Amino acid sequence: MFLIHLVLVVLSIIFLTPLVWMISTSLKEESIAAKTPPIWIPPHFEWHNYWDAFTYNSQKLGYIPFLVYGRNTILLCILVVAGTVISNSVVAYSFARLKWPGRDIAFAVTLATMMVPFPVVMVPLFGLFRDLGWVGTYRPLWVPAWFGAAFNIFLLRQFFRTIPSELSEAARIDGCSEWQIFKDVVLPLAKPALAVVALFSFLATWNDFIGPLLYLLNQQSFTLSQGLQFYQSQAGGTSWSLLMAASTIVIAPIIILFFFTQRLFIQGIALSGIKG
Amino acid sequence: MHLGAVKTVAGIAVILGSVIWSERIVIHNPPPGRVHVVYWEKWTDFEADAMRDVVDAFNASQDKIYVDYLSISGIENKTLMAVSGGDPPDVAGLYGQNVAQYADDDAILVLDDFCKQKGISADRYIPAFFKIGYYRNHIYSLPSAPASVALHYNKDMLAAAGIAEPPKTYEELDEDCDKLIKRDPRTNHIIQQGFMPAEPGWWNFAWGYWFGGKLWNGKDKITANSPENIRAFEWIQSFSKKYGTSEMQSFRGGFGAFNSPQNAFLDGQVAMEQQGVWMSNFISKHAPHLKWGAVPMPYPKDRPDLANLTVADEDVLVIPRGAKHPKEAFEFINFVESQKGMTILCLGQRKNSPLKEMPPEFYSKHPNPFIKLFSDLPKGPKTFSTPQMGIWPEYMAALSTAFDEVNLMQKTPKEALDDVQARMQPKLDESLERLRRRGVIK
Amino acid sequence: MKARRSKESIAGVLFALPWLIGFTVFMLYPVCASIYYSFCEYSVLKPPIYVGFENYVDLFHDDIFRKSLWNTFFYVIISVPLSTIITIGLALLLNAKIRGQAFYRTFFYLPSLVPQTALACLWLWVFNSEHGLLNMGLEKLSGHFWIFHWHISGPPWLSDTTWSKPALIFMALWTGGNAMVIYLAGLQDVPVELLEASDLDGASPSAKLRHVTIPMISPVILFNVIMAMIGAFQIFAVPYIMFPNGQPAQSTYFYVMYLFDTAIVYHKMGYACAMGWIMFILIFVMTLLSLKVSEKRVYYSGG
Repeated sequence: MFLIHLVLVVLSIIFLTPLVWMISTSLKEESIAAKTPPIWIPPHFEWHNYWDAFTYNSQKLGYIPFLVYGRNTILLCILVVAGTVISNSVVAYSFARLKWPGRDIAFAVTLATMMVPFPVVMVPLFGLFRDLGWVGTYRPLWVPAWFGAAFNIFLLRQFFRTIPSELSEAARIDGCSEWQIFKDVVLPLAKPALAVVALFSFLATWNDFIGPLLYLLNQQSFTLSQGLQFYQSQAGGTSWSLLMAASTIVIAPIIILFFFTQRLFIQGIALSGIKG
Repeated sequence: MHLGAVKTVAGIAVILGSVIWSERIVIHNPPPGRVHVVYWEKWTDFEADAMRDVVDAFNASQDKIYVDYLSISGIENKTLMAVSGGDPPDVAGLYGQNVAQYADDDAILVLDDFCKQKGISADRYIPAFFKIGYYRNHIYSLPSAPASVALHYNKDMLAAAGIAEPPKTYEELDEDCDKLIKRDPRTNHIIQQGFMPAEPGWWNFAWGYWFGGKLWNGKDKITANSPENIRAFEWIQSFSKKYGTSEMQSFRGGFGAFNSPQNAFLDGQVAMEQQGVWMSNFISKHAPHLKWGAVPMPYPKDRPDLANLTVADEDVLVIPRGAKHPKEAFEFINFVESQKGMTILCLGQRKNSPLKEMPPEFYSKHPNPFIKLFSDLPKGPKTFSTPQMGIWPEYMAALSTAFDEVNLMQKTPKEALDDVQARMQPKLDESLERLRRRGVIK
Repeated sequence: MKARRSKESIAGVLFALPWLIGFTVFMLYPVCASIYYSFCEYSVLKPPIYVGFENYVDLFHDDIFRKSLWNTFFYVIISVPLSTIITIGLALLLNAKIRGQAFYRTFFYLPSLVPQTALACLWLWVFNSEHGLLNMGLEKLSGHFWIFHWHISGPPWLSDTTWSKPALIFMALWTGGNAMVIYLAGLQDVPVELLEASDLDGASPSAKLRHVTIPMISPVILFNVIMAMIGAFQIFAVPYIMFPNGQPAQSTYFYVMYLFDTAIVYHKMGYACAMGWIMFILIFVMTLLSLKVSEKRVYYSGG
C-alpha cells in the first residue's frame, strides 16, 4: 500500500513538473529564464510578463494582441457549443426515440463516418467554403456545428435510450406533440449528457488549430491557438519567459473550468470510452 | 415558465450577438467617398510602421483612394487562398521568391501596361532587384523593400583572439574560427563560436552560390549536385567534423530570441554572422555598446572572381487576380516606387533601396553606418537571388533537408545533393509538362 | 394507428434533418469530390484536369511520401502500445483503494487538457538542449552520481534525428490522461464477485490481473487502442509547430503534414486528395486487422 503511494507521488511529480516549470519560467526576467542551473523560484516575480503577453505590446512582441485573440476564441466557442448542443440533441432524439423509415441504415452510416479522418475531406471542404465565399470568415468553423456531428449523435442517442419510454408514452397520451415531449420530458432528464457534450465541444473549439489555420486569413481574426504560435521564432530564437506566460494564459481557463466541472468531465469521458 | 422564456430569449440574443460580432471582425466596411484599396502585408513591428507611414503619406497626398494596411501572417499561402476564394486583397506584399509560383498559377496580374503608363521601367532599378519581379518576359511584381547580405563581425571578440582583420576568404574564416572557439572545460560544451553556417539559417539554400554554383540552368535542368554546390556543402560539414555535431546543435539550441538582447551575435556567443542590412537596427536596439563592422562575405581562395558577392532578397508588391480595384492599387504601388516612397520605406525599415538613384539624405540620414556597403554590394554583376521557378517551395524544402542532413553528418554532401538532384529533376520536368499542358509555355 | 405512425415518421425525419443536410453537404459531397479529385490534377485556380491514376503512381515513387509514412508508422507503432501499457498501469494503481485517489487522478489528467499549441510551446522549452528542464534535470542527476563517473548529458532532443520522434512519443505519454480515466472507469465496472472468487481460489495478484481484470476490460482496451491508432496516425498540430518542415532532416515530417503542405503550400490539391484516400485505406486495414487479431482475446460479457 505504501509502495503504491510512493510510486503515485513520484509519478505525480513527474507529471506536474513541466506545468510548474512553465509557470515558474513565465514569471522570470528573460535574461535569467535561460540559465543553468535552473532557478525554480525567481527572485522577482515579473508579473508584467503576463501583461506584455496579454496586451498589444508592439515594442517587445510586434503586434500579438492576446486580448483580441481571446475575444475571438470565446465568440467562436459560444457559437459552436450552442450549435452542437442544440443540433445534436435534436438529431439524437430522432435516432433514439422516433421510428422512421431508413432510420437504422442512416444510423449505421452515421457511425461509419466516424472513421473518415479529416484530411480526407479537407481539400473539397476547403473548395466548398471557398466557392461559398466563406474562407476568411468564421463561418466554416461554426456553421457545420449546427448540423450535428457523428460522435455527439452517438453519445446522446445511447443516453436517450436509457430514458424510460413510459414517460414519452404518457406524454403522448396527454396529447403532447413530439417537440413538446422532446423539450419538456426528455431534455430536462438529459442535462448531464448535454453538459458533457457542451464541455467537450468547448474544449475542442478552444484547442482547435487546423481549422483556424485553414480558414482564417486576417491576423486580427485569429484565435488563441494561432496567436500562441507567433511567439515562437518570428525571426529565429524564442522569448521563453513571454512564451510561457502566453502559454499559461491559454491553458489557465481550461484548467479552471476543469476544477469546477471535474465530476462532469470524468463522467463524460467514461461515457464516451465505455459505451463505445 | 417565465424564467424559461427569459433564458431562451437571452440565449438567442447571445448567439445572434456572437454571430454579428464575429462577422464584423472579418468583414471590413469601406470609408465613404474614396475607393477602398485593401493591402495585405507580412510585416509587424517597426517594419510595419515604416510601410504604414508610406500608406499614410499616400492617403494624405490625394483624396480619391484610401489604402487599408492589414497585417497577415503566412501571407504567401493566405494570398493564394484568397485568390482562389475570389476575394483577394487589391495589393499583396509577397516575398520575391513567391513570384514564379504565383505567376505560373496565374494568380497575379501582369503589370506591363500599368508600368508603361506610369513610366516605370527596368532602368529605374538596380538590375538584381528588378529581375526578381520580371518573369517570362513580363513584369509581375515591383520591389518594396530589398535586402542584401554581408558578414557582420564583433570587433572586440576578434581582437581578443588576436585577429587583426575580418576574413576575406573562407580559408581565413576557418582559421579564425579555430582561434575563436571556446569550450566549457567541465562539460566540453561550446560556449563561443567564430561562425556558424546554420545561423541564422535564412539562406541555407544559397550556400552553393557563394562557392560559384547554381541551382539550375535557368530553363530545364536542376544542377543541385554540381561540383561547386558539393564543395559548399563540404565546407558546411567541415564545421560539424571539426567541432562536433551534437555540441554544435546543443550550442545553437540555447540561443535566445533573434529580436532580443539574447541574440547569439548580440550577446557575444557568436563572433561573426551572415546577416542582412537590418541587423544594425537590432544591434542598436539590444546591444548598443557592441563594436561591430560589416564586410562582404568571404570567397574561396581560388575564386577571387566571387569576391564582393551578395544575395539579393526582396519583398515585392503584386496585384492578385480578382482584385476589385487594380487601377487604384497600382496608383499606390506607383507611389511606393518613387524616390519619396522608397525613402520613407527603406529608411524606416533601415534597409537599402532598390532604386538606382536615391536622394542624398537617404544615405546621410540612414541609421546603418554601413549603408554604403549594403547599397553597393547588390550592384555587382554576380548578385544572385532565389531561382525563379514555380516549384521553388519544394526545392527549397529539399535543400533545407539536405543542409540538415549534411550538418548532422547523416549523409555526405555528395549523397545529400545527389538525392536532391534525383528528387527535383522529375518535379521540374513534371511542372514544365503541366505548364505546357495549360499552354503557358510551348 | 397508421396516422400516428406516419406522424412519428415525419417528426423523425424532421428532427434528423440537420444531420441529414449536414451529412450530405459536409460529408457525402466532400468524400465523393475527394475521390474524384484524387484522379485529377487540381491546382486551386484552374478547374481539375482528369489524369487517371497518375497521382497514385507518383505517390508510389515519391520518397517524401515514403518518409512521412515511415515516420508516422514509427510513431503509431511505438506510442500506442507504450501509452496503453502506461495508462492501464496508472489506472490499476489508482484503482487500489487509496486515499486521495481524486487528487492523483487530477494530476495525471491535467496534462491532457493542454491545448496543442501550448503543449508544443511548453515542450519546446522543456526539451531545449541547453536550458530545458529535461536536460538540466539529467545534468543534476549525473552530478549526484559523479562518484560513478556517470555523466549523463541529455541529447539535443529537438535537433537530433534519433531523438526527435522519441521526444514526441514522450509527450504523447504525458498527455495520456484521457485514456487513463476511461480505463479507471472500466476497472471499476469489473464485477467484484469475480475478483473475490479468484481471491478465494488463492490467485496471485498478477494471475488475477491476467485472467480476470484484463479480460473484463478487454473491450475497452480494444476500443481505445483503435481510437488511439486512428488519432496517432493523424498527428499534425504539435509537430507542425515544434518542428517546422519536419526538421531535423524531415525526421518529424508526418503524413498529415505532408498532405497539408501538398495542398496548401505546393498547390497540388489532387495529389493531396490521393494521399487522403491512401490514409483512409491504411487506417481501415489497421482497424480490421486489430478487430481480427482481437477476436479470440476480447471478452464481451454479453451486452
